[in-house]
Amino acid sequence: MIKIIETIGRGLIRFIEEFGQVMFLLMSAATWMVRPPARLRAIFKQMEFVGVNSLAVVILTGAFTGAVLALQAYHGFRLFGAESLVGSTVALAMTRELGPVLTSLMVTGRAGSAMAAELGTMRVTEQIDALYTMATNPIKYLVVPRIVAGVLMLPVLTIIADFVGILGGYIVGVGLLEINSGIYVAKMIEIVELEDIFNGLVKSACFGLILSLVGCYKGFYTTGGAQGVGQATTRAVVIASVSILISDYFLTAAMF
Amino acid sequence: MTKFSVEAKVGFFVVIGMIVLAYMSMKVGKFEYAGEKGYELYAYFDSAEGLVKGVPVQIAGVEVGRVKEISLEAGKAKVAFQLDPEVQVGEDAEAAIRTKGVLGDKYVEVIPGSPQAQPIKPGGRIVRTQSPANIDTLLKQLSSIGTDIKEITQSLSGVLGGREGETSLKTIMDNIRSIAETLNETIQKNNENINRTLDNLAIFSKDLKEISGTNKEAVHEIVANFRQVSDQFRDALIAFSEITGKINRGEGTIGKLIHDEETIRSMNETLVALKGITEKINRGEGTIGKLVQDDETADNINAALSSINEYLQKEERFRTYVDYRGEYLFDSDDVKSYLSLRIQPKEDKYYLLQIIDDPSGKKTVTETTTTVGGTSTTEYKEEIDKDEIKFSAQIAKRYYDLGLRAGLFESTGGIAADYYLFDDRLILSLETFDFDPDENPHLKFKADFTPFQYIYLTVGFDDFISTEGTESFFIGGGLRFSDEDLKTLLSGAPIPKN
Repeated sequence: MIKIIETIGRGLIRFIEEFGQVMFLLMSAATWMVRPPARLRAIFKQMEFVGVNSLAVVILTGAFTGAVLALQAYHGFRLFGAESLVGSTVALAMTRELGPVLTSLMVTGRAGSAMAAELGTMRVTEQIDALYTMATNPIKYLVVPRIVAGVLMLPVLTIIADFVGILGGYIVGVGLLEINSGIYVAKMIEIVELEDIFNGLVKSACFGLILSLVGCYKGFYTTGGAQGVGQATTRAVVIASVSILISDYFLTAAMF
Repeated sequence: MTKFSVEAKVGFFVVIGMIVLAYMSMKVGKFEYAGEKGYELYAYFDSAEGLVKGVPVQIAGVEVGRVKEISLEAGKAKVAFQLDPEVQVGEDAEAAIRTKGVLGDKYVEVIPGSPQAQPIKPGGRIVRTQSPANIDTLLKQLSSIGTDIKEITQSLSGVLGGREGETSLKTIMDNIRSIAETLNETIQKNNENINRTLDNLAIFSKDLKEISGTNKEAVHEIVANFRQVSDQFRDALIAFSEITGKINRGEGTIGKLIHDEETIRSMNETLVALKGITEKINRGEGTIGKLVQDDETADNINAALSSINEYLQKEERFRTYVDYRGEYLFDSDDVKSYLSLRIQPKEDKYYLLQIIDDPSGKKTVTETTTTVGGTSTTEYKEEIDKDEIKFSAQIAKRYYDLGLRAGLFESTGGIAADYYLFDDRLILSLETFDFDPDENPHLKFKADFTPFQYIYLTVGFDDFISTEGTESFFIGGGLRFSDEDLKTLLSGAPIPKN
């Protein structure tokens, strides 16, 4: 009995410890971020990796999500003859929820795992310690560019996902389901507010921070050789994904 | 293909994102009506139900502004809205809360009023307003309309529907048909007559022509005679005119009578007296006057009328039933038949007349006492007349579910009790009759069940405390018709369709 309670206690302590370490990493990253010199080259490299290289997967995800959303909403709305609202439903869902969340999850899988693996390998091969000896702060050199890239690139990816998703919904709704295109677009424009789009983008920036921070943390503090790197990668993806979904609820509740 | 630098790639990517964002924002973003743009007006509504901040304000279906604020002021909803500066609203404008689409979104419609009217200044009030129609009130009105319609259809169906309506309709149709038939028949029958008449007429006119042709002189003579008669008549008229002239002048007896003052006076007096009498009657003096004027008279007449009405209504309750029942007696393997007439002047009272064909017949006991030399011998002789018919005549009275009967039962005195169950569908009866000092009385128990309107089934035990072994279990059934039923049955004979 006491063992079960001990397990719970240990879990909580570990969670708080880990959370504290993540916060420390964030703090030091923030301080190092504003300290010159700005490592623009490293930042651009990370931006390319996180943003540009994720474009294909995000476009595919967004387009098909919008399309399937239109298909499903059509079946529901047809029951009470409100097919014209399919467009607004797709647009609202994409901009407010699915665009930010799905983009972040895809990027987590693609880039977050890569960050953890990269930094983890550097840690176990003692490259990070070597950086210290070269008087280069590894946080400034490795972590800050990744976090900056995540926070900046996620909104860009999200707005593209939103657009592509709405386009996919339009193709299905107007092209396949033969909803009048004028009504489809007019209703969408009437119901969707600018606020919906911007709040979605703010959310995606937060998710970008979460995924890059978790990825860097798990990689930066990796122990235990090649096995440890693998573990760190998996854990980074799982923790980042879960954190994104949980924080999504609270962000939505706070913003809308 | 030149290889792009990392910076170019990222820059290109960000630019695309920015363009997409800008495009979507421009499409979706609405120019806010808040703040400096436009001017504000307000209106008071009885109810601003369903109205929210930011809903559109329309004139003729064109959006010209937005609702800015909704607040409560002195029990009314004060709705303030922002209008485009180029839109002018006259002082006689009207603001209404309307519902848009199936989903029931509310918006404010402004009916701008006449162009001559002075425009309302910014910050002014639109005085005339229309609040949204309350669904509850509408429903209430609709339901009362529905009730009215239902009443109408009910009374219609009362007139046309039902057996009575059907019968009367049928009778009307029958009458029309028979009239048409008679008419047709008459015309057909008299076709010859008419033809003959026309023939006669032709012959007659021919004769007439002949007469006028051959007897022209005689005709002339007749005409001359006629002229002479008319001359004499004219003379008579002249003489009559002379007589009336004389009367007018007061000459002769009649003339005097009419022109005499006294005659006129006495006539006047008569008229005055007559007037007095009618006045008296009017005032309620004298016997006739009292009769005419007294309220009691009217009351009496009314009472008399209502009692007649009541009597007539009672007559309506008067029912007659004809009933045949057969009972199969298991012990004697015979059928006992009853034919009865039930006269029911009131719901709770009836008279029953019955003819009974009893297979066991009527038993007659003859007692013969012969005295031979001091010793008397008594002989009993029993005679059974199988063909003898028995009679019942009873009077019955009902108290709620219990009925009592008394009178003649199968040609002997007796009493009986009936118990009515399930809306008179099941009747349990116990009859006691034929009280004989030497034998047990005849007791009969029966249960009559009426599953349908005219048919009933019966089961029972006859004479169950008999000492002569005549007790028998029986089962049977019967038919019962009321006078109404008979009427319907007789008049409801099918009408040939052609």
